[in-house]
Amino acid sequence: MATPAATPETTGAETTGVETTGVETIRTWLTERVAYFLDVRPQDIAADDLLVEIGLDSVYALTLCGDVEDEFGILVEATLAWDHPTIDALTAHIHSELAAR
Amino acid sequence: MTDPNPVPGGPDVLERALGDAHDPDNPLGYEAVLAADERAEILPAGEAALDAYGFNAEYVPRRLGGRLGRIDRLMRMMRTVSRRDPTLALGHGFTNYISGSAMWTAGSDVQQKRMADILLSGGKTAAGYNELPHGNDFTRTDLTATPSADGSHYRINGRKQIVNNLGRADAVVLLARTGAGPGNRSHSHLWVDLTQAPADRLRRDYRFPTVGLRGCLIGGADFTDLEVPADAPVGPVGSAMETVLRAFQTTRAVLPGMMVGTADTQLRTVTRFALDRALYGRSVADLPHARATLVGAFLDLLAGDCMATVACRALHVLPGQTSVITAVNKYVVPKVLHRSSQTLGTLLGANSYWRDGRYGIFQKFYRDLPAITFAHANAAVCQATTLPQLPRLAATSWGTAEAPPAALFDLSAPLDDIDYQALELTSRGADQLTALLHDHAGGPALPPAAARIAALLRADLDDLGGRCRRLPPSEHSVVAGRSGFALAERYAQLSMAAACIGVWQHNQNGVDPFLRDDAWLTGALARVAARLGHDVGALPDVVEQRLFAELTAREEDRAGFDLDRSRLAPA
Repeated sequence: MATPAATPETTGAETTGVETTGVETIRTWLTERVAYFLDVRPQDIAADDLLVEIGLDSVYALTLCGDVEDEFGILVEATLAWDHPTIDALTAHIHSELAAR
Repeated sequence: MTDPNPVPGGPDVLERALGDAHDPDNPLGYEAVLAADERAEILPAGEAALDAYGFNAEYVPRRLGGRLGRIDRLMRMMRTVSRRDPTLALGHGFTNYISGSAMWTAGSDVQQKRMADILLSGGKTAAGYNELPHGNDFTRTDLTATPSADGSHYRINGRKQIVNNLGRADAVVLLARTGAGPGNRSHSHLWVDLTQAPADRLRRDYRFPTVGLRGCLIGGADFTDLEVPADAPVGPVGSAMETVLRAFQTTRAVLPGMMVGTADTQLRTVTRFALDRALYGRSVADLPHARATLVGAFLDLLAGDCMATVACRALHVLPGQTSVITAVNKYVVPKVLHRSSQTLGTLLGANSYWRDGRYGIFQKFYRDLPAITFAHANAAVCQATTLPQLPRLAATSWGTAEAPPAALFDLSAPLDDIDYQALELTSRGADQLTALLHDHAGGPALPPAAARIAALLRADLDDLGGRCRRLPPSEHSVVAGRSGFALAERYAQLSMAAACIGVWQHNQNGVDPFLRDDAWLTGALARVAARLGHDVGALPDVVEQRLFAELTAREEDRAGFDLDRSRLAPA
């Protein structure tokens, strides 16, 4: 039987769809998400800012992983934001993960 | 079911080796334990007895020649020592396992072998994490390990403080900064052989005196350009945080279950006092308030053991979900036991203040118990680990998750040896434990009184789910306001209740008639409900009498108050 751990949330993937999830869509979503966490405007965040340096601590990073899984319907490591520390890096990683599905 | 590959020794064997705790002539008895505490020493005969038993093998995986397979066994072994003397349990001690857990999770074959050899030959290893300015906030670690230009070695500079056994350990698993950035890839564990370190590069003759665990050799070290080989990093450079998040799930499972042993001795001491002491023409135990206090402490001990046992078993059965379960365990069990200790102290009255005599052990354990709480992974850290996961648990699992496998609760179900790599850093929203509040389809129906309380708790979980889903991200982290931490507190209490329900349901075919009894489940759930603010009233007289009779029978029969009813050494 499937447990919740083995059942990725698919609601986000259904609405965005693999083909239509382009780099810009991912980048925009990530930027808005991080801006929401940090309570700043999306335009205040540069795609090459080191997220940890603009205040995205390890707890937010963890929460972001969950949001990415729910939004895009993929499983990511909890270390996602450690290894892909900017919006650009995260975007590239998520895009390649979606393409590899 | 019998284990096809049994591990020799065990809690009963060790307990018999420790002998009668109340015998004044026993060098391992409470009198000797108290005398060692007065001298701020680890009981020397206790260390010798654990060495003679080969206790360090309990910390070393079976694949490396030790006896470590099941984490619940390690927990019960630690409990056996901790029932006699928590200082001995930690001081001999458990830091061998704290450092070991990181090594067994991430070390190379060669490093693991080296550490196993040290431990199996009776040596000690320290867990070098703490720096006073940063406490449990490991990402702020200042001690640095810098690779030499030719890549032949690392150079260590900085200091560690409040590290058990650092002054006498043969080696240390050291948390060091290997990158300049503030992120989570800037830290590595280093395996450092302390016996080879030149005196001018390493000073470690520090000792931090403490109120509880007074005998523990809590030390520190200054590293000045100490050179260690290039193969010192344990796991990939930059991977320490990841390793910690896996390995410490196992330590967070063991320590609260160990503390149940400390609480056991406190409850035994106060029960004896209440039976012996006459007030107003009858024994203290005949006073209704005193009786209710003792029964309450018994129920909290059982509930604590349910949570701790489930946390240990979950590492084997639900390794994807233990980032949450073990954090909850390390938060809620010490908290409940500490409260119990305070209440029992009130009952003991002036005797809770005496440092020797028949009840003298109480005050020592009263000081030791909170020290174990913050000795490793303190309450705030555990709540901060739980809190950010709550919104997703609520959205994904609460009210809908399937009940967990029976092996999570069935004390007779076999478990595979611990697989550190199977432990996940987050639970990805999965929470099957609290499904016990919702889903009773897999087990027998709860007794009516317990079912009524379970319905209250189920409504609590629903309410909590709504509040967690609305929690803004700024309230998820360690700097969350009180409301965030209050949600984590309620979740922890509900998890403990779920653990009690699971243990009751899945041991109905077990050998112990008491575990099949309604009384303890109803009582334990009522205690949780009261802590959550429900007015559930006093326990029915018949339930309280049943539990009090069990308590006094165990005290007289030298049986532990825990789920195992551990057999204590005979007189």
